[in-house]
Amino acid sequence: MLSDEQSQKHITTGSGDLNDILGGGIHCKEVTEIGGVPGVGKTQLGIQLAINVQIPVEYGGLGGKAVYIDTEGSFMVERVYQIAEGCIRDILEHFPHNHEKSSSGKKQLQPEHFLADIYYFRICSYTEQIAVINYLEKFLGEHKDVRIVIIDSVTFHFRQDFEDLALRTRVLSGLSLKLMKIAKTYNLAVVLLNQVTTKFTEGSFQLTLALGDSWSHSCTNRLILYWNGNERYAHLDKSPSLPVASAPYAVTDKGIRDAFPIFHCFTICGHIKIVPRLRMEATAESMECCLLST
Amino acid sequence: MTGRMTNRVPDWIGGRDDPWPWHIYPVNRRVGQGAPIKHALELIANASKLPADGSKPDSERNPNPLGGELTGDASAGAEGPLCRFLVLLQPARAPPGEPSPSPPLLSRHQALPRLSPPRPTPLRRLPAASVTEIAGESATGKTQLCLQLALLAPQSPLSASSLFLHSDLPFPLHRLRRLAPKILDHVLVAAAHSPTDLLSLLARAQRLLANPGRSPHRLPIRLILLDSIASLFRADFDASPADLRRRSALFFQISAKLKELAYRHQCVVVVTNQVVDVVERDAGNTVAWSSGRSVSPALGITWANCVNTRLFLTREVDGDGASGSARRRMKVAFAPHLPERSCEFVIRRDGIFGVEPAER
Repeated sequence: MLSDEQSQKHITTGSGDLNDILGGGIHCKEVTEIGGVPGVGKTQLGIQLAINVQIPVEYGGLGGKAVYIDTEGSFMVERVYQIAEGCIRDILEHFPHNHEKSSSGKKQLQPEHFLADIYYFRICSYTEQIAVINYLEKFLGEHKDVRIVIIDSVTFHFRQDFEDLALRTRVLSGLSLKLMKIAKTYNLAVVLLNQVTTKFTEGSFQLTLALGDSWSHSCTNRLILYWNGNERYAHLDKSPSLPVASAPYAVTDKGIRDAFPIFHCFTICGHIKIVPRLRMEATAESMECCLLST
Repeated sequence: MTGRMTNRVPDWIGGRDDPWPWHIYPVNRRVGQGAPIKHALELIANASKLPADGSKPDSERNPNPLGGELTGDASAGAEGPLCRFLVLLQPARAPPGEPSPSPPLLSRHQALPRLSPPRPTPLRRLPAASVTEIAGESATGKTQLCLQLALLAPQSPLSASSLFLHSDLPFPLHRLRRLAPKILDHVLVAAAHSPTDLLSLLARAQRLLANPGRSPHRLPIRLILLDSIASLFRADFDASPADLRRRSALFFQISAKLKELAYRHQCVVVVTNQVVDVVERDAGNTVAWSSGRSVSPALGITWANCVNTRLFLTREVDGDGASGSARRRMKVAFAPHLPERSCEFVIRRDGIFGVEPAER
């Protein structure tokens, strides 16, 4: 088991700071939940992960494919193309010698190949969502090179009127159990993007992730994206082995990169460290303040 | 057709025996017995109490004051030939804005060139299969923009008719006429009076989009405009937690329906929203500065989760009130495919035009 855990792969997020607080990146065999206000970059992070999982092994990536389940329609092909181009450009910049050795490798680094390796599902209702997740097991049995499953807004269809809230809870916990099982069986990472909602507690409105307290048990790791002034921060809220921490990141035209650039640095497995990094230990209060008062 | 003018929408509209799927304000109560409605134009003009030609909205004097032609026959099947709203006008000149040629990968995203030039490229296209929200104070140009989009749709590469759902009564007919003087028939209009109303309208729109093959000369509907989602939710909802939950559930239902329509039929969906003042900084929602105050789009962060793209129209008055000219900006609050940018635009008599960020 120990050797299993040590050989566990990570999927880089593109930003060195984020990778650091996540312990190298998004972990395989685990379910990660990423939540944030609209516009903070959840879909961008999801697309970046779908691209980054395809980085070939000789450049330090996993060389796998991605499954992207879109419930909201935010998956824009132009943007994915742009992010794929940015990723390839950064790879070629940092590993100029590698693809001279393997000339076939360079042929694979085309944005179209990256796009072709993302299996895209668009679902329009919660029944379709349940059906797709049930179908995933069979799909993954046939496509063994999928290393990440991203569900963009797992909560969108469940926030409509459910007459029976207990039924909703049962359905959701069934979904999350299936996803955990898929993650373990097929050795891939499951990333769930979540929305925020306001909760009325103790006389004031606070921001909290959607779907309630029962859903918060369903994931192994939780990352919360928030605005601090004009900057985007990510806060690791729940993790089995890592401390709670925050890190800044930026959304550029190439995708998710480090904030505070001297150079915008694309980090793959920690080999390249150019930019001085900031790490903040965030206490619960300071994060709350950050959430409540932009 | 004689009769009293009334704004009351009879109960059968929206009912199962409605031969005409779109809400039409009846002039004659006699019509309420299920007879097909003629002269839809005049009815809407009258119901809006607008002078059609600068003259009185007198239906007796001129049965068809706008001189439009009613096509669509009176025979009604269950899904009938629709009573189309026909006054539509050709734009004064052909819209010159072409979208940039997209590589073949991207052909499934039909782009709608939005405005006449000059316009900075990133904001030029509205994506299909997603919901775009345009938020702004009153009189910042939201409805104008929607009307202009509806008019440009047939000539654009989207090549489509549009469906204009309005909840701010009445439908801005006179503005439409001012935008273009001739007559076209590419805009379908319907009024929504409440959120449940809107949901049933969208269900019908789904049937309509699924069966397009009625009249061969009409373009398919690929553009759906909803004017003012906020005014649908102004009444009927208190601040109690139960009502707020009900309101949020309706947001998600409406948004899911719009997105489904957008995706299945590759439509461009545009929704307008109003703004509210910001007293204290809310953590989630976009805040902008417009007309000297901080405003935020209405309906809160719940609705913000329901749209894919948000464009914010702001207005700054330079100088004193009357003499100063308003500088209008359109800002991208968030979008999956656009960086946060803004650009300036002006509203002129013949439409909305972007302002080239001059060589500063």
